[in-house]
Amino acid sequence: MHSLRILAVLALAAGSVCAHADGDAAAGKNKVFQCEGCHGIPDWKTAFPEVYRVPKLGGQKPGYIVAALKAYKSGDRDFATMRAIASELSDQDMADVAAYYGAQAVTSAEAKK
Amino acid sequence: MRKTPVLLAAIALAAATPLAFASGDASVGKKLSTPCAACHGAEGVSPSPEFPNLAGQHPDYLEAALKHYKNGKRKNPIMSEQVKALNTKNMADLAAYFASQRGLQQLRQH
Repeated sequence: MHSLRILAVLALAAGSVCAHADGDAAAGKNKVFQCEGCHGIPDWKTAFPEVYRVPKLGGQKPGYIVAALKAYKSGDRDFATMRAIASELSDQDMADVAAYYGAQAVTSAEAKK
Repeated sequence: MRKTPVLLAAIALAAATPLAFASGDASVGKKLSTPCAACHGAEGVSPSPEFPNLAGQHPDYLEAALKHYKNGKRKNPIMSEQVKALNTKNMADLAAYFASQRGLQQLRQH
């Protein structure tokens, strides 16, 4: 019994460490104007010297988007444009933007079609 | 003087060539993709909220991401291990495979 309680406390503690703001997709829709300048244009590419299309975000996992934005903001992930944009975003902004893109969920069943 | 534009073009071409992204073979990529499925899903759709979906992503972006994990520009303890065994051709093939799947979309607002 006692160990169960300890487990529960541990689980709770682990959960709160990993917790992030709940995103609001509707609020996110009004915050993606900067994103759309590149990610909303089909086949938009990065600039020289390394040229590749910027990633599609529709249907991407919200947790991943938030992690990417935080990494850009902290400098762990290096891309000047994204760093400039992410540095202006609060945790709530990031969660909202992620919820907006993630709302276009892709399921395995759809992927098989 | 007239040679300058030609020279510039030649330099630009030479500079661009090493950074060009190869077009991969999706069927070869599929065979290489078994380790990826654990986190990114068998169809490129991740079972976890934390790992990115790969299905339908632009192949040149995926290839760039793999190269960045390999050269250290992008840091992730899991991915940097995974890419150690991959060569440039492997990366292009994997990118082609995930890009060929149905999944991510280009969203346009309003």
